[in-house]
Amino acid sequence: MIKHLIFTVTLLITIAVFGYTVNRLIKFFRFTKAAFPVRDFGKRFNLMMRVAFGQTKIFRRPVIGFLHALVFWGFCVILIGSIEMVIDGLAGTERSLRFLGPVYNFIIASGDIFAILVAISIVIFLVRRIFGRIRRFEGIEMKKKSHIDANISLSLILLLMISLLAMNTGYTGKMMLTGEEMAGIYPVSRILAGFFRGMSPDGFSFMLEISWWTHILTIFVFANYLPYSKHFHVFMSVPNVFLSRLDPLGKLTNMENITREVRLMLNPETAFAASPADAPPERFGIRDVEDATWKNYFDSLSCTECGRCTSVCPANITGKKLSPRKIMMDLRARMKEKGPLMIKNGRDFSDSRSLLRDFISEEELWACTTCNACAQECPVNINQPSLIVDMRRYLVLEEASAPGELKSVFSNIENNGAPWQYSAEERLNWTRDLDFEVPVFSSLPEGGKMPEYLFWVGCAGAFDDRYKKIVKAFATILNKLNISYAVLGKEETCTGDPARRAGNEMLYQMQAMLVIEILKTYGIKKIITTCPHCFNIFKNEYPDLGGNYEVINYLQFINKNIEEGNLKLKKGSLENMSITFHDPCYLGRANGIYSEPRSIVRSLAGSFVEMDRNRSFALCCGAGGGQMFKEAEKGDKEVFIERTEEALATNAGVIATACPFCMTMITDGLKYKNREEEIKNLDIAELVVKAMEG
Amino acid sequence: MSVLVYTENWDGKFKKLSYELVSYGTSVAAMLGTEVIALTIGKATDDELARLGNYGAGRIICLTGDQLSVPDSRVHAKVIADLALKEGCNVVIFSNNIAGKALAPRVSVRLKAGIGSGVSRLPLSLDPFTVYKRAYSGNAFAHVVIKSEIRILTLAQNSFDAVEKPTGALPETVTIDIDGSMIKTSVTETQKQGGKILLTDADIVVSGGRGMKSPDNWAPLVELASILNGATACSRPVSDEGWRPHEEHTGQTGKIIAPNLYIAVGISGATQHLAGVSSSKYIVAINTDKDAPIFEAAQYGIVGDAMKVLPKLVEAVKNLKK
Amino acid sequence: MKILVCISNVPDTTTKIKFQEGNTSIDTTGIQWVINPWDELSLTRALELKDDASTGIKSVTVAHVGPAASEPVIRKSLAIGADDAVRVNLAAQDAYSVAAQLAEVVRKEGFDIILCGIESSDFNGSAVGGMLAEFLDIPSVSSVSGLKFENGAPVLTREIDGGRESVVVPVPFVAVVQKGISKEPRIASMRGIMTARTKPVRICEPVASDSLTEISGFEKPVPRASCKYVDADDPARLIELLQNEAKVI
Repeated sequence: MIKHLIFTVTLLITIAVFGYTVNRLIKFFRFTKAAFPVRDFGKRFNLMMRVAFGQTKIFRRPVIGFLHALVFWGFCVILIGSIEMVIDGLAGTERSLRFLGPVYNFIIASGDIFAILVAISIVIFLVRRIFGRIRRFEGIEMKKKSHIDANISLSLILLLMISLLAMNTGYTGKMMLTGEEMAGIYPVSRILAGFFRGMSPDGFSFMLEISWWTHILTIFVFANYLPYSKHFHVFMSVPNVFLSRLDPLGKLTNMENITREVRLMLNPETAFAASPADAPPERFGIRDVEDATWKNYFDSLSCTECGRCTSVCPANITGKKLSPRKIMMDLRARMKEKGPLMIKNGRDFSDSRSLLRDFISEEELWACTTCNACAQECPVNINQPSLIVDMRRYLVLEEASAPGELKSVFSNIENNGAPWQYSAEERLNWTRDLDFEVPVFSSLPEGGKMPEYLFWVGCAGAFDDRYKKIVKAFATILNKLNISYAVLGKEETCTGDPARRAGNEMLYQMQAMLVIEILKTYGIKKIITTCPHCFNIFKNEYPDLGGNYEVINYLQFINKNIEEGNLKLKKGSLENMSITFHDPCYLGRANGIYSEPRSIVRSLAGSFVEMDRNRSFALCCGAGGGQMFKEAEKGDKEVFIERTEEALATNAGVIATACPFCMTMITDGLKYKNREEEIKNLDIAELVVKAMEG
Repeated sequence: MSVLVYTENWDGKFKKLSYELVSYGTSVAAMLGTEVIALTIGKATDDELARLGNYGAGRIICLTGDQLSVPDSRVHAKVIADLALKEGCNVVIFSNNIAGKALAPRVSVRLKAGIGSGVSRLPLSLDPFTVYKRAYSGNAFAHVVIKSEIRILTLAQNSFDAVEKPTGALPETVTIDIDGSMIKTSVTETQKQGGKILLTDADIVVSGGRGMKSPDNWAPLVELASILNGATACSRPVSDEGWRPHEEHTGQTGKIIAPNLYIAVGISGATQHLAGVSSSKYIVAINTDKDAPIFEAAQYGIVGDAMKVLPKLVEAVKNLKK
Repeated sequence: MKILVCISNVPDTTTKIKFQEGNTSIDTTGIQWVINPWDELSLTRALELKDDASTGIKSVTVAHVGPAASEPVIRKSLAIGADDAVRVNLAAQDAYSVAAQLAEVVRKEGFDIILCGIESSDFNGSAVGGMLAEFLDIPSVSSVSGLKFENGAPVLTREIDGGRESVVVPVPFVAVVQKGISKEPRIASMRGIMTARTKPVRICEPVASDSLTEISGFEKPVPRASCKYVDADDPARLIELLQNEAKVI
C-alpha cells in the first residue's frame, strides 16, 4: 500500500514537472513563425520508419553507428517494459502484461538481451568520450557543460541497464529457487543469476525490489532531465524525422513577402505607388529567435550535439569558424535565454541582444558553401542550411550587408545579367569556331517548328574561358545526335542562383521572373543544362514562381542516349586512363544524381576509381554558396586544396567534373599542387566527345 | 590672342609633363598664329623658370605671394583667370592631372570658356574649334566642338612629346597680394611617400597580378622596375589582399596611367584593369595562361612562368647597359 | 547639416558602345543605365556620415539633371538610402549647363556639403564639380579620397602627387571625390527599395543656361596590332624588341 502510494506520488510529481517543461516549450514555440504545411503523411511515415527506426543515417558511420542502433532499438523494446512497470506501480500488480503470452516472452527476452548489449555499448561510449580524443566532440561550442551533460546522460542510461539486469536477475534467481513459473524469458539474466550462488530467495527479492525502484525512479528523473539536455533527442528525434522538410536538399524555401514586392515593382502601374496598407511589417530573414520557424526550433531541440554535421562541413574541416552544430546549439541556447524574457515582457521585448552577432557571427554565416553535407549527415534530419541562408537573407535584405565581393556580384547581375562584368552581347562568342551552326531562338524563322529543347548555356558557359569548351563539347554531342534544340544567346540572363545562395532573395526573384518571361515568349517546355546550379534552380525553385519545365541535366541526357544506343562511343584513347569523378554538390546531395556520371565514365574509361569521400559523402569543391566569388573566410586551408589532394590520392590520371565551379576549383588545385601537366581535369562532356571521335 | 599654358611646380621645380604641356601649347599657338605664355604659381628660381622657354614659351610668368602658397583652388583659379583676361588669352591649357582637374573647371566658369578635357591630340580643326578626347572610359573617342570664344584644354598625360624650341624668354616674377579673407582652405597635415618614382610620372611601369601567386615573389619584379628606372604597379586583387600598397593599384577604380611601356606580369587582363592602362604606348604581357585576355591587348607577350622569365629579363637589361 | 550628392546617369560599364546617325550619337537601345560609379561611392559616403550621429548630418539629397527617363536611377539612389531627390527636367548638354542648373538647385535649397564624382564613366569630363563651386563662389577641393568629421566639422583628405594631405574648408563647399571616398558602394536593402517608391522627387524646370561645348561625332579606337610572342626560353629577345623596335627602353 505504502509502495503504491509512494509510487503514485512520485509519478504525479514527475508528470507535473514534465508538464511544466512541456508547457514552457509550447510557449517558446508560439513565438516562432510558421514553416511548411505538414502533408504527405504516407511519405513521412516511410521516412520515419527508414531514418528513425531503421537508423539509416546513423549507419553512415557503420561501426559506431551499429552500436548506437543497438542502443536505440534496445530503448524501444525496453520502453514496453517500462510501461509495464508504470502500470504495475499504479495498479499494484506484477508483470501485468504477461497476458500477451508468447509476444510477452519475446519482448521480455529481447529486453533482457538488449539490456546487456546496451550496457556494453554505453561503456564503450563512455570510455571513448573520456579517454579517446574524438575530434567531433571538440569545438568552441562544446563547452565543459556539454561534456558533463553527455557523461551524465550516458551514466544514467548505464544505470538504467544495470538496474534492469539486476531486476531481471533478482526475478529469475528468486523464481528458479522457488520453482514458480516465470513470466517472460530471461536468457541473459538467468545466467547472471547463476553467479549469485548462495543467495537466498529473499536476497533475490530484495535485489528485485531495490532494482525495480532504482530503475523506475531513474526513468522519472531521466525523463525530466532530458528536455534540458542534449539527450532530448530521445523524445524529439522520431517526431523531428516525421516532420522533416520533404523537399530535395538543393531547394531553398521561397519568400512569399518578397514575391509580393517584386510583383509590385515589375508592374509599371504599381512601381511607384505606396505599399498596400496590409503590407506586413515583419522582418525579412532571420535575426533572432522570433524570426525562426517552429521547425528551426524543433531542429535545435532535436540536436544531439553529435557533431557529425560539423565533421563533414568543408568550411569546418578547413579551419573556418563555421560549425553547423554550433548554429543549432546557438538557436536553442538563445531561445532558452530570450524565451523566458518574452514570456514575461511580451513578444516584442528586446534585451539588446540577438541570435545574429551575439551568438552566430557573420563570419560563420559567410563561410557556408551550401553543400548540404551537414543536412545529409544529420541522423535526425535537421536542416541547418535553411537557417544559415535565412540569416544571410536578413543581412542582405534588411541591412544591405554582405562581403564586398558579393555586393559586386549583386550589382553585376542587376546591371549586366551575369555575376561577372560581361556584356550580354558576348554570350554567343563560344559558338564562333564550331564547324556547325548553333540555332538561336531569336534567329529562328517565323512560323517554323519550335525546337524541342532549350539548351541553357549559363553564365559560366558563356563567359568562363575554360567552360566555353564544355558547352562547345555538349553542343557537338547535340549536333551529332541531331537533337532539335536552340539556345537563347544574348537573351539569356543569370538564373539568379548566386544571388539566392548569398541571401539576396529580391535580386533572385527579379531575375527569375525575367527568365520565366523570356521562356514564356518562346513557349519553352524542356530545358537541358550543363550547369548543376542552373539545373537545380530550374528544377526545384522556379516552380514556386510559376516556371514549370521538364529540366534535364546533361549527364542524364548523355546517359540515356548511351543506354538507348543513340550515342555510340569507342573506348579508343580513353582505354588506358584511370578516371575519378568529383560529385558536384548540386547534382549529388542536392538532387540525388550519382549513378549517371559513373555509368558514363565506366562505359568510357579503362578504369574508374572512387575517391574516399564519394557520392553523398563527397567533399564540396569549396565554390558554392557564393564562395566562388569572394575571398575565403579565415581558416587553415582552402577547401579546393583539400579536395584536390583527395582526388590525387586515387592516382587517377584524369579527374572528371561536371560543373563549371568544380572545374575551376579542381584545376586551380592541380596548379597549386604543380600537377597540372600530368593530371588532367576534364568535364564529362569532353570525355564523351573524345570517345565519340575515337 | 595668346595661348596660356598653366603648369604647377613642385617645390619650385618642373617635371617632364610641364615641358610636354608647353610644347603642346606651342604647337597650338602655331596653329593659331600666336604666342605662348607659360604660367606657374609659387616660388621658383629664374633658372628653373627659364627652362620653360626651351620648349617654345615666348613669355614666362611666375605669380608669387605669401597667400598663394595655400592650395586654394578658388584663389588660384581667380589669379589665373585674371591673368588670362589681362593678357587677352583665348586658349588656356592645363594638364589633366590633379591640379588641372581642380583648376580648369573653375577657370572655365570665370572666363565662360568651354573645356575639352583629357585631349590627346592637337585640335582637329580651328573653325569650329574641335578637339579629340577619350570617352566611355576608353571605348570611344569624341570630337568635341568648343563654341565659346575662350577655350580651355586639359592635356592627357604622356600624350604629347616635349619638343625643344628655345626662345630665350626671360622669366617675369610678379607678386600678387590677395585679401587674406579669400583664403578658405587650410592644410592641416601632409603625408608623402618618399623616394620612389611616382606611378603617374613613370615612363615604364612593371605591374604584377594574382598570377604572381604570393607577395613573397615580388622581388624580381621590383628589380626589373628598378633597373628600367620605372615604377611598380599592381592589379586590384593584389592591392585588395594587401600584397602591395594601394597606391600601386592601376585600373578602372584605381589609377589610370599612360606610360610608354607597361609590363603586365601574371595579370589576366580583365576589362577593369585594362581600362586603367589601355592608353599605354606599349603593353607587354607575361602569363602562364596562353588564353588570358591580356594577350589581346598586348603588343608583345611571353607565355611562361614569371618567376623564370623575370630574372632573365633583368639579366638582359643589365647586359644592355654594359 | 545637409549633404547634396550630384548624380549622373551612365551606361553600365559592360555595355558595348555603338553609334548611330553617322557616328554622332550613341545608340541607346538595350543600354542598362546605372548611377555613375564615382557618384555611387560619394552617395555611400554621405550615407555613412549620416548614419553616424556625431556628424550632425540631417539629410542626404540627390540631384540630377536629366529627362524623365532617368527616374529609375534616381529611385535607385533613394533605395540605397538618400532621403529625397531633385531632378532638373533638362537633357544634359554639357558640363557647363549642367553645373549652372545644379547651382540653381543649391541656391534655392541650400546645402552645406556638396559631393560630385570626379568624372563620369561616359564623358570622363572632370568638370561639373569645379564649375558648380565657381558658379556658387564657394570653395572646392578636388581629388578628395576621404571625408570624415572631427569634433562636428568636416575634414577632407586630398590626393597630391606622391601622397595626400588633410584639408579643412568652411561650409558650404564642393568636394570633388574619387576612389577611396568609400570602400565599396552600398546596395539597397528591402526597406530601402520599398520606401524608395514614395520618397519625394522634386522636379524643377531648368533655368536659362548656355552650353559651351557639343559633341560633333565619335570614333572607335583603332584596333592595335596583335600580340607578337617571344619564346619563354629566350626573354632577352623581348628586351631587344623593346629597345630596337618599340624604342621604349
